[in-house]
Amino acid sequence: MLDLLAQTGLNAIYAASYISLVAVGLVLIFGVMGVINFAHGELFMAGAYVVVAVYADMHLPFFIAVVVGLLFVGCLGLLMERALFRPLRDNPLGGLVASIGFLMILQALASMGFGVRMEFIPPVTQHVIWFTDSISIPLARVYVIVAAVLLLSALWYFLKRTRFGWALRASAQDPQAAELQGISIAQTARIAMFIGAGLAGIAGALTAPLVSVNPHMGHSVIVTAFIVIIVGGVGSLEGAIIASVVYAFVHTFVTTFYGGVIADITGLSLMLLVLIVKPTGLFGSADRA
Amino acid sequence: MISKLMAAGLSRRTFLKSTAITAVGASLPSMSLAAGEPIKIGFLAPLTGAVAAWGKPGLDGCQIWAERVNAAGGIELSDGKHPVEFVSYDNEYDPAKARTGATKMIREDGVSFIMMLGGDTWPGVQPVADKTGMLFSTLLPSDLSPDSTTLLAPAEVHPIYLVTGVDYLADTYPDAKTAVICAQDDALGLPSVATYLAAFEARGIEVLGEPLLFDPATTDFAPIVTRMLSSNPDIICLDTCYSDYVHPICEQLFQQGYAGKLISATADFYDQMIAKTSKEFMEGFIFQFPDFDDPALAGDNINFEDANGFYEAYAERHPGEWGAVSWEYASIMDLWKAAAEKAGSADPDAVMAAMKEGGTGKHAFGDAKWWGTELFGIDNALVGDWPVVVIENGKAVIKGFKSIPDWYDQHGDLLIKHMQTYNQMYDQRG
Repeated sequence: MLDLLAQTGLNAIYAASYISLVAVGLVLIFGVMGVINFAHGELFMAGAYVVVAVYADMHLPFFIAVVVGLLFVGCLGLLMERALFRPLRDNPLGGLVASIGFLMILQALASMGFGVRMEFIPPVTQHVIWFTDSISIPLARVYVIVAAVLLLSALWYFLKRTRFGWALRASAQDPQAAELQGISIAQTARIAMFIGAGLAGIAGALTAPLVSVNPHMGHSVIVTAFIVIIVGGVGSLEGAIIASVVYAFVHTFVTTFYGGVIADITGLSLMLLVLIVKPTGLFGSADRA
Repeated sequence: MISKLMAAGLSRRTFLKSTAITAVGASLPSMSLAAGEPIKIGFLAPLTGAVAAWGKPGLDGCQIWAERVNAAGGIELSDGKHPVEFVSYDNEYDPAKARTGATKMIREDGVSFIMMLGGDTWPGVQPVADKTGMLFSTLLPSDLSPDSTTLLAPAEVHPIYLVTGVDYLADTYPDAKTAVICAQDDALGLPSVATYLAAFEARGIEVLGEPLLFDPATTDFAPIVTRMLSSNPDIICLDTCYSDYVHPICEQLFQQGYAGKLISATADFYDQMIAKTSKEFMEGFIFQFPDFDDPALAGDNINFEDANGFYEAYAERHPGEWGAVSWEYASIMDLWKAAAEKAGSADPDAVMAAMKEGGTGKHAFGDAKWWGTELFGIDNALVGDWPVVVIENGKAVIKGFKSIPDWYDQHGDLLIKHMQTYNQMYDQRG
């Protein structure tokens, strides 16, 4: 039984890692831009397809593909900021609708470029770390965990300890006051979109060899990310990380001990419970970042 | 007059339905064909999305089939030969889109027959079939019910053929006595779970715990695999999981150290699974869908014309994309063509009557009978032998053909019992 608990715990740590990367990116974009980016799951998908193109098709090293995934999807974020969100800055509903349109465009482009079938990505490594005869974790999953810890730590440092980070937080708290202090709202929006999209892209790229890569793979990811940011508190980065861990552990343990369908119901119930008890989420208000 | 008809066996429901069909049918475009005019066949299946692997390869196979038939002059009806043309519509495995597609194909495209994957999409299409009398086919006999007399399951007898794989497993590995089952919670997964439960029970194999049903949106299968392995089973049954699930589940099983037997309805793109696990891990994997280059498909019992040549053409045009359904829709078209030529007409009623004449038909894997009243309420499934396929040294090999009706004659009560438990009998489905 202890082995089963330990193995489930390792599974949950992996799940928390990639969910938190996606959710934090989504929160960052919402916090700074005030837009709910429905295309965030498709940015995750785009990162996975970069790995298909660069690693599986062009046979370049996996970690180069991952870096390309981060940069490419970050640039997609910049494109979204310039083409969609900036012209609709005063119209949050318009930004939301535009992101849904962009979601469909990305899905269609993936279908046209790669076909509708699940993509085959050669294993990055088949090495498995064995703790006991029945407790193990594949090295490819460890990469995801390590990347999540490093990237989220770097993001924390960036936001708390650098001038750009302060500017970003100021823009999120009060855009007008920040602008009066000489902070360029357009620039902070670009930075937020690049980082937010890039985090989704790198999550997709790192997990691509571990999941089924197809044009619709972003759907379940965005649903999970929305649950997480609602539980954590829309706009709260700390809340997103903590809620990712809570959700991943609850979902993984319930899946293992009771079943996947019950786990989904439990996850949604958790969100509803939080909304009833604390409508702003566990960690704060909607205007924080 | 009406009371006399009722007394003669015409129920009020049938009378109203017939009247509705006549009324709607009168407003439909004529299905009669001018000499030499192409016969249009509808292909209404998921071409994108998670279930596309069971739609798109079938359409690719149909294009090859059409080229072969048209190169030989086309389909010969009473007024001469007609080329055949496929009209496709992507239903994305969505019932509403399937309904829209069926309506478009009948009203605008003038198709003579519509092929579907079925499953979750059939309830969306059923009212259209009922109203128009159009002939439809499904790959899933579990869609059949007495309410839809124009729906046939002429190729795949999912999930009933799964019993043949379990029989082979029990015969070959008598020491394997315990199993766990997992499946996605949908119209493909549930009847399949019931069938595997019946097949395991028939052979004295204990299923450990309840089958694990997971949300079709699942992407991380590590927790599911951890749970399956926690009971230390001899056999892991992947049920009728889509290849998007079979691949990551197998990879997880490999990474979590599983070394027992594996059985599944399909093993599409198994070469990729071998690449992600190992040849040794996949050795002995039992499933139900052969590669058509298998020498066993050149036998006299096979009714699929030049199966090996078809595979060769498919592999050349779509390298690495051969899957469970690559041949199935084409084999349905073989039956449809033979029936249309026999009837001398592409009219749905005439073709269906010719197809079912004598209660037997030439199924791809041998002569079979129209069957299913006990299970589906109607004899609209063409059932006979089905191959058992095993991966040996990295290649799918047919290990033999087993009779599904023979199994049912012995264990049909078990199948009905488990189908009832999962509300999958025709009179239980909504």
